[in-house]
Formats: sequence, C-alpha cells, structure tokens
Amino acid sequence: MTPTGTIQTTKPLKRLAVHATTTCAEQASAYGKCILATYTDVRRDICKEEFDKFGRCLHEAVRIDFGHPFRKLMCFPQMKRKW
Amino acid sequence: MNVITSRSLTKAHLFRTQTRGYATISSSGPSPSLTTHTLGPFQVFDRETKRKQRDRAAYKNGGASSRTVDYVRDEIADRMMERLEDIKRKFSTIVDLGSCSGHFAKLLDPSTTRKCIMIDSSHGALHRDPDSEFEVEVERIHADEENLLQVINPNTQEAIVSCLSLHWVNDLPGILIQIKEALQPDGLFLGAMFGGETLFELRTALQLAEVDREGGISPHVSPMTDTRDVSNLLGRAGFTLLTVDIDEVKVSYPSMWELMDDLRDMGESNAVLGRRHIIHRDTLAAASAIYKELHGTEDGTIPATFQVIFMIGWKPAPTQPKPLERGSGKTNLKDVL
Repeated sequence: MTPTGTIQTTKPLKRLAVHATTTCAEQASAYGKCILATYTDVRRDICKEEFDKFGRCLHEAVRIDFGHPFRKLMCFPQMKRKW
Repeated sequence: MNVITSRSLTKAHLFRTQTRGYATISSSGPSPSLTTHTLGPFQVFDRETKRKQRDRAAYKNGGASSRTVDYVRDEIADRMMERLEDIKRKFSTIVDLGSCSGHFAKLLDPSTTRKCIMIDSSHGALHRDPDSEFEVEVERIHADEENLLQVINPNTQEAIVSCLSLHWVNDLPGILIQIKEALQPDGLFLGAMFGGETLFELRTALQLAEVDREGGISPHVSPMTDTRDVSNLLGRAGFTLLTVDIDEVKVSYPSMWELMDDLRDMGESNAVLGRRHIIHRDTLAAASAIYKELHGTEDGTIPATFQVIFMIGWKPAPTQPKPLERGSGKTNLKDVL
C-alpha cells in the first residue's frame, strides 16, 4: 500500500493513529513481526531497519495530509529553512 | 513499586549517615507536608493528577464522552451486584466508596437498601448523572477516598462497597483498615478492584516499543495488586469470613489508539508518580504495531484484558459463625473417607 493522503482528520495524534493502522499497515506489520521474532531479547534499535520503513511511510502520509504550506510551517518548524 | 528519584539517590550517596525513606515524590507531589525523609512506602500514585483527569473526563462534551465508555464499569458493577444479591440481608444504608458516577448505586433497588451514600474525589464524576437515574435515595459526598474516616464516623455503617476505585489508592492496607473501622460489627465490605493482569497487552506493547525505540522503559500502566495479596491484606485489616475471587472482562478494540482514547475518557490515564509526561510519537506508532502483532486476533481487532478482583469481608462480631477450636473434632476423617 502506498500513502494516499485521502484521510483527513483534524488532530495530529488522530492523524498519526489513522495512518499507523491503515495507510502504513503493511510496514507496521513487518515491524511488529520483527519485534515478535526477538521479543525475548529486545535491545535498542533491534528492528531499526523495519521501523525506518514504517516511520518513513508515516512521515510521508502525515505530510501529504497538510494541504496548505502555512500548515507545514506550523507543524514542522524545524523544516522551515528548506522552504 | 517504589519510586525513587535520582535526586534522593544522589543525596543518599553524599550523606551516607543519613537515613533515606523508602520512596520519594517530586517536589510538586500531592502531599507537601511530607518531606523526602518522612514519606512512607505507599506513595505510588499522584492523587491530585488523578482527580483532575477524572474531572476532565467527566466534563468532556457535557458528560457524553464519559457515558460512551461506561461499558467496563457497568459490566463490573453488574457482576458485583450478583455478589451482593447472594447476601440475604437488607441494609438501611450502603456506602459506595469511590462511586464514580454511581455505576453500582444505579443497580441498587429499594428491596436491598433504602439509601446509598456515594463518596468520590472527583466532583465531575460524582455529579455527572442526576438523582432521577437512581432507584434509591442517594447522598453525594465529595471527599478523598483515601481519608474515609474523615467523612464517615467509626462503627456506623452496615455495608461499604467499592467498585473499581481502590486501584488508585496509595495506601491499600490503610484504606482497608479505615473501611473496617467505619463498619459496625458484622458489617459488610464488598469490593471490586483491577488486578495485576489488567491491560497487560498494553503494558507489554509499550515496554517493547520503548526498549526498541528509546532504549529504556518507564511506567505507563500502573502497578496493580495480585489476588494473593488481596486476601492477605483483607486478613491483615481484620476482616473475617473472606471471599476473594477473580474475573476477567475482555474488550476488543480496532487498534491501540481507540483503547487509549477510551481509557482517557474513563479518566484512567497514567497517574503513576514520577511518570514521563510524554510518549514520543515514534514509540506510540511502534507500540501500536507491536500490540497488533503480539496480541491481535484473527479478525484484525486487538483485545484488552481487564482483570477484576472481587472481595468480600466482614467486620468481626461475636454473633458470627466461627471455626471450632483445634482438636475439638470427634469424628476421625479416616472413617468418613
């Protein structure tokens, strides 16, 4: 599944919730399976690769949700310089 | 269970001769009169935060959000009512300690009791539902559940019940002793509280996510009491004729996010002293993925377990049945078996 950006919700956390369970469900599942395979011996970043994919998908999906550039500035002030 | 801040550890390290308390709270803690060195071992929860969370939940959307998530409390109240119905006795008054919005009180009918006194520390929850929803007369007392004896005189009550409130009480042995004191001889205590298995799925998912993403864990789900401990505590508080049993309610949710939303609307958000006030969104997303893979069911939902410990105890009275004295048996068991 690819990020579609069709789901519009207002609250940032709600948006994250929607994308974590629907848009990026595939990546989420891959990450979950990785943890499941190692859950008796979990260390920091043990499933970094899988999470990076999941995180990228989430970031992309949440980013597409912001239509107006002004919203981008408000929500990601650390990215200000790029624009 | 004890919360030890790094500050107190440093202090103890610097002044080795000083005695250190079992547990400490942050300077903004709920009991300003208690200093670092006098605080007892029973400080686990931030009661003031808990009161605010429950008020906020009860007032949200004019009480509509809170009513939507009544399902757990209503179910447990119903099961607790079954246990009260087994007791063939009529009460003129029943005290409901930590009544919330009266989930248990609503099930009482005039054939069991005439009046119910609801005590709760959250004003919002206590006054959420109007008197017309109750079949019996209700009196609402806005007071801290931890200090029962400040609002109820000793040796006055026929029955005290508590439905899903004791899991936020810091001093559990203390409150049980207060309940016993407030009861008349041969008075009944009937309680339900969340047990240690409650929300274990959420607990494990968050822990695994935190370890993988951030490399450490922090309490997000409260420490809860074990069944074994409850019978010991009841016995220690001086109750007799104890009955303790456990029950489970499993609820299915679409995902971890709905579960957390509902917990917040129930006023059951985290209120452990020394908790972290934020969870990183990466950790949350990771926990949601882990929850689903680790505990999810085939139909795509996730289960959440609520384990409930039901307890019944009686204040001792000379009229109660007692076991015979040791060695007074006349029949040999060998002959019977």
